[in-house]
Amino acid sequence: MGAPSAALASLPAGLVWQGNQLAAASRPAHPTGFAELDAELPGGGWPGGALTELIATTPGIGELSLLLPLMRRTGAQQWLAFIAPPLLPYAPALHAAGVPLERVLLVRNGDAAQTQWAIRQACSSGACSAVLAWPAQTDNASLRRLQLAAEASATPLFLFRPPAAAAQASPAVLRLQLSAAPGGVSIHILKRRGPAASAALHLRLPARTDTTAPPHAVACPAPARSAPAGIYPRCA
Amino acid sequence: MHQPRAQVIAVSASARARGVHPGCSIAAALAMAPQIVLHARRPELEQATLEELAAWAGRYTPQLSIAAPDTVLLDIAASLRLFGGLQMLAGEIGSAVAALGLHVHHAVAPTPRAAQWLAQHRPGCLIDGTHGWQEVLDELPVDLLAGAGVSTAVLELLATLGIRSLGQARRLPRAGLARRQGAAVHALLAQACGEVADPRLSYQPPERHRGHLLLPHPSTRIEPLLFAVSRLFAALEGWLWAHQAVLEDCRLVLEHEHHPPTIVDIHSTTPTRAQTQLLVLAREHLATLTLPAAVVAMALESGPAQRAAQRSGDLFGPAGGKDGDAALLADRLRARLGAERVGSLCLHADHRPERAWGITAAGRRGNCDSLPAAPRPLWLAQAPRQVGRATLTLLEGPERIESGWWDGAPVRRDYYLARDSRCALCWVFEDLDQPGQWYVHGLHG
Repeated sequence: MGAPSAALASLPAGLVWQGNQLAAASRPAHPTGFAELDAELPGGGWPGGALTELIATTPGIGELSLLLPLMRRTGAQQWLAFIAPPLLPYAPALHAAGVPLERVLLVRNGDAAQTQWAIRQACSSGACSAVLAWPAQTDNASLRRLQLAAEASATPLFLFRPPAAAAQASPAVLRLQLSAAPGGVSIHILKRRGPAASAALHLRLPARTDTTAPPHAVACPAPARSAPAGIYPRCA
Repeated sequence: MHQPRAQVIAVSASARARGVHPGCSIAAALAMAPQIVLHARRPELEQATLEELAAWAGRYTPQLSIAAPDTVLLDIAASLRLFGGLQMLAGEIGSAVAALGLHVHHAVAPTPRAAQWLAQHRPGCLIDGTHGWQEVLDELPVDLLAGAGVSTAVLELLATLGIRSLGQARRLPRAGLARRQGAAVHALLAQACGEVADPRLSYQPPERHRGHLLLPHPSTRIEPLLFAVSRLFAALEGWLWAHQAVLEDCRLVLEHEHHPPTIVDIHSTTPTRAQTQLLVLAREHLATLTLPAAVVAMALESGPAQRAAQRSGDLFGPAGGKDGDAALLADRLRARLGAERVGSLCLHADHRPERAWGITAAGRRGNCDSLPAAPRPLWLAQAPRQVGRATLTLLEGPERIESGWWDGAPVRRDYYLARDSRCALCWVFEDLDQPGQWYVHGLHG
């Protein structure tokens, strides 16, 4: 028992991967901005140049906030691509969060084939700091193509997929299932290059920490009666 | 149908295999190969092609002239060093001309007339100005003088004298030939040998480029069209180089026989002259196009050209390649999906949430005169969605937004942060004009 592990330990690092370790990332990873999450991910961050799947039960549980630290790092000559988002990424909120709005490349309302095409072009151009995409339907072959495109150009690609996708196999190197949690988001790592994660990770998101108060705190706000219409100072 | 003494001027490879050769009569050609297709010669097309070639060749030298009917003369003396010598330059022109879909014979000589003659009779001949180069001309046939304006009578005189080559003509006594109306012979030879100046009218490329191409076979398929388009773009790139210019817009006109032409406007965010980049954009446009009928001809018109920023070549490859990639990606998406579906975000100074944002052209910095920051959701719904009050748990609020009474879209709302039944964090409002009506307007993604 002891002899093989000693022999393994004497091998150069990276030659043999052991099931109880996180794999070393083939490319430098992008720190997520959340130390607890970094510790759980191979390479210590979002995989650089690979397909990551984010499976959220419903929009509005903090799935974008999770990527805000990455989005802030978009360079002056790169795009931050939003492809076929289900809702509008709201410019004032992104601006307040420090995302450079002029580097956002928003692609809207395509059919499934066009969305696939746009994702692949955005990945393989190598001109994007990150590609966030909401494909309507994907099969394994197209996911594989996207994974290869992201790998070839070292572009982090994030696919947001419906909950049903969690049960399907996928070539993504990292799959996270997100669910709502008070004050943040709860992350269950479905797949990573490393040992299976046992417990869900609870992450506190800065934008939500002020909502940790018990839900009934302002359950019945004093109904503010409407004032007569008129001119009000802008910053009232 | 044809003129009685009409001749064949040029033949295709398959016609040549059947024995048809340039110079034989039409009747003889039809007798040898009845199935050949005859095309009438069109001098105006030949002239247009020559001018297109001249405009394109402006990238190699600004000093060029057209010698009708079939020659373009380039003064490359000043360009040799830039292009790495005679061999390199001649090779590059030869391969680049093939991209235009043309087949040329070329020759290099110290004088324009010598180069012209050598291209006709010894294509591929490259002569630099070493001592005694004129001897190469001596072996050329005397018939060349006919194309240079020597009268038939003088040529017949030379033939009866037994003169076959230019060298023999050069050794004839000058005064005697001049007495027999043959002074032009020596004048031409002196020009060819560089003893007398041979000024040529310099060709100025036109201010706007318009390339036109007749397709040999009308087509609706994309690949043949793209192949033809690439030829037009190669000519456009040459014209841009000659002008030291770049452009943002060009227009591709696809002509049909019985339909109005299909027009494709190609727009590049960064001014460019690279045909590869324009061709990529043209490909995206063509891929989404449905053609009403087969394309019989196409034209490429340049938009307004801008003077290119002069920049020295970089030792370590072109600078700003990343920027070019980014612009090209946006252009391609726009070309394939439509300009209105690709863009960047910007802010508008308006309190109404649905008017506080906007979409600009990709990469354009909009005004960032935002209002004082209030907590806003990362997702905004296209339109507020009505919900029952019972499904919401209000967490924070209210924030009163009452604005827009002056422009016909007034808004009187109290916004709250709320949690809905699926635990998503929502941005909801109660319409103050219809109390009790609750709407979800955004999600804290």
